[in-house]
Amino acid sequence: MKWLQERLHEAPSEKVRVALEELVSPTVCSECSGRRLRSDSLSVQVGGRGIAEYTALPIEDAVAAFEQVQLNSREEQIAGSILREIKNRLRFLKTVGLGYLTLDRSSATLSGGEGQRIRLATQIGSQLRGVLYVLDEPSIGLHPRDNQKLLETLSALRDLGNTVLVVEHDEETIRRADYVVDLGPGAGAHGGEVVAFGTAADVAENPASITGLYIRGARKIEVPAQRRAPNGKYLTITGAYANNLKEIDVSFPLGLLTVVTGVSGSGKSTLVEDILYYALAQHLYGSSTEPGPYKNIEGLEHVDKVIEIDQSPIGRTPRSNPATYTGLFTPLRELYAMLPESRERGYKPGRFSFNVKGGRCEACEGDGMKRIEMNFLPDVYVLCDVCRGARYNRETMAVKYKGKSIADLLDTTVEEALPLLENIPQINQKLQTLLDVGLGYIKLGQSATTLSGGEAQRIKLAKELSKRATGRTIYILDEPTTGLHFADVHKLLDVLQRLVSLGNTVLVIEHNLDVIKSADYIIDLGPEGGEHGGRVVAAGTPEEVARSRRSHTGHVLRPLLNGRLARNGNGHK
Amino acid sequence: MAIDRISVRGARQHNLKNINVDIPRDRFTVITGLSGSGKSSLAFDTIYAEGQRRYVESLSAYARQFLDQLEKPDVDSVDGLSPAISIEQKTVSRSPRSTVGTVTEIYDYMRLLFSSIGIPHCHLCGAAITRQSVDQIVQNVLALPEGERVMVLAPIVRGRKGEFKKELEKLAKEGFLRARVDGELLSLDEEIRLDKRRNHTIEAVVDRLLIKTGIRERLTDSIRTALKLTGGAVLISIVDGEEKLYSERMACVNCGINVPPLEPRSFSFNSAYGACKRCHGLGTVMEIDSLKLIPDARQTPDKLGYMGTADKQGSAYLRTALLAVCKHFNCDPKTPFADLPKEVREGFLNGVTG
Repeated sequence: MKWLQERLHEAPSEKVRVALEELVSPTVCSECSGRRLRSDSLSVQVGGRGIAEYTALPIEDAVAAFEQVQLNSREEQIAGSILREIKNRLRFLKTVGLGYLTLDRSSATLSGGEGQRIRLATQIGSQLRGVLYVLDEPSIGLHPRDNQKLLETLSALRDLGNTVLVVEHDEETIRRADYVVDLGPGAGAHGGEVVAFGTAADVAENPASITGLYIRGARKIEVPAQRRAPNGKYLTITGAYANNLKEIDVSFPLGLLTVVTGVSGSGKSTLVEDILYYALAQHLYGSSTEPGPYKNIEGLEHVDKVIEIDQSPIGRTPRSNPATYTGLFTPLRELYAMLPESRERGYKPGRFSFNVKGGRCEACEGDGMKRIEMNFLPDVYVLCDVCRGARYNRETMAVKYKGKSIADLLDTTVEEALPLLENIPQINQKLQTLLDVGLGYIKLGQSATTLSGGEAQRIKLAKELSKRATGRTIYILDEPTTGLHFADVHKLLDVLQRLVSLGNTVLVIEHNLDVIKSADYIIDLGPEGGEHGGRVVAAGTPEEVARSRRSHTGHVLRPLLNGRLARNGNGHK
Repeated sequence: MAIDRISVRGARQHNLKNINVDIPRDRFTVITGLSGSGKSSLAFDTIYAEGQRRYVESLSAYARQFLDQLEKPDVDSVDGLSPAISIEQKTVSRSPRSTVGTVTEIYDYMRLLFSSIGIPHCHLCGAAITRQSVDQIVQNVLALPEGERVMVLAPIVRGRKGEFKKELEKLAKEGFLRARVDGELLSLDEEIRLDKRRNHTIEAVVDRLLIKTGIRERLTDSIRTALKLTGGAVLISIVDGEEKLYSERMACVNCGINVPPLEPRSFSFNSAYGACKRCHGLGTVMEIDSLKLIPDARQTPDKLGYMGTADKQGSAYLRTALLAVCKHFNCDPKTPFADLPKEVREGFLNGVTG
């Protein structure tokens, strides 16, 4: 080993170095056992513990540990205020529901929501007043139980004399707010207007507000009348012990809509992403990413595809758009190339691309915009003065289908394009799925950079839906309802149910109760976050989980399923 | 009248349709709506962006050149704004050196706490390391009840093997009369023979006193002498009672390890003063992974491929090495690697002694 390590540092050739680097993986440092400090520093103690012992404690335990530190009068003078500050800050972190994190946790492994709450805790600590705080969906990734804590924190921030402005879909948050502004009525071009404002009650009474409809309960996501019965096939992981998982055995039923839930930090993502997804990816695609440690996985033979659908953008350049991503653009270009006019002029499908020379406007190279650098002012984008944003040159645009040039077509919404293109099955089917996932309002050529995370996610789903389903595919979604309004969640659920109806398996990590109650099968991890989590608390149909006394999820689920629990014992019997 | 609302007039950012919105100040307001209805355009791209822009405008032109230029949002007016702070998602650093403790700045406070009142402990024997000045030691001894008999000892050798002839001779030459060798008081006039294969503890007896008023000067001198003799340690032994070791420097009196003075940076894993020498404060090191080294554990030692053709020389060396280890433990090189005895596999990975 030592010989290899040396050989790595003084490799005789580039080829050898590359070969050796393949063998390298990060291991916990043997000198400090991952504590990062030199031994003299580690052995300095306050209150009978070293600094690394404090940082290794979950924050809630660290608060207690620091409470116990006794200072004599000399130490009190020197360090009293420091100790108070530490205790305060730790308490703030606990209040925002992060008591399960340890201080030595690397911030690269934190979820977006956790990072946001850390910042929130820091802000409360600053005790400023008269500040305007703007927050983006702080409830994301929070189990309903933790959400309560968060709302208390936000109220505390307001009571300090601050203005708190939150962009949020969570019903609980809307109800607790002093004032609600509802925008809409639709999305994209159909949105951008104030539909309702006032207290939550005012908004609920407003007939024009979709949000109001849901708050009032006039419209709601129904609990499915029937749960699908498992088809007897399972993917079973035994002895999963990555991160905080306690060597658990979990069975994921196939062919169902399964929701993995649990309080923040209970190990949901570790189980589903780090272990299941990577194990499947390794098995099916030979992926080189090592899954988290587990003993065994069974049932791989029932699966031939695993697809993860997240909210990352579909493309980062303005040249990527829904048409290119869903594969709509290729048949569309072929359609234009087949028109008599194109044949006459010898235009090939390439002519109708704005990414290559030929058909595109050369002044802006197909961007439709021109960037003007302003030195010390921000860059200014102006409409290309040659094509006026159309991205194509005049000759290309002369080719028209049903009176529309390719540029006109890219500027139409999915809804409007559908009747125009209904006779071309290949295109029609793709447009239909986009409409089904609730994206009728987006333009075919809308640049990918202007799409929201929720929209990007639904475009990906639409792409999956339009593919021929193998019926043995597993879809993994990590908190798909992020950024989605009630009405959007409704649409998303419809899409997911459709995927399952085609025989596929959908596995969702989610806190949203509407999604949880619509699942066929629930795996509830917990009971708490961090070290107190990592076990399966309950598993089964929503009705079964709701009856579990130990499950936090069951507790909040019970009122939603009330009638059902009394009426029939089991969802799918 | 106090300003009690933030009034947005004519907001047209992105898809906003020239809207007017009033948001009450010092209240908790939620902006909601369908995905893509313009919530973020209003909250972030208009209200927050304008608050931020005005703040940046108030800075000097010199300071502004270091900041990104902010575009003026497409809005007629925003009144009643306060300084704005946005708490977005995905703002955490991806650096491996960033932890929950450093992001929250709690770790900075902890470093301060540990450097100011932390008690260093010896990392070998675990004993607390304290530093006391001569005056403090004297003070402690004088606090003993009157009439106690006390010895001031200078620890010369602590539990080491050897005859220590030189050390004893030197003590005699310097005028010391007695020494305590392995707990026994001996006169230095006589020759002391020690078993050189045994561990010994030698302390020079600097002074013997009775606690009473007026001994302060003599005691101070004796302690100074002992400290000078040992380089910073003195043992105070109450006759027929307990003993206490004092150290003038930050050093472990048992192991003789010196501890550098504590500073906040001694506890920072991002500073050379605090970071672990081996991993440079990362907690992990890139090391050859034994699992990846053995490409196929079912293969026999003479056929293992290792790095394949990419590093023929290295692979050949490893093959020879493993065969040598097999021979050393007298085992069959035709057994698959996974079935080899544990000592052979460990020996191959970590080396064999002898």
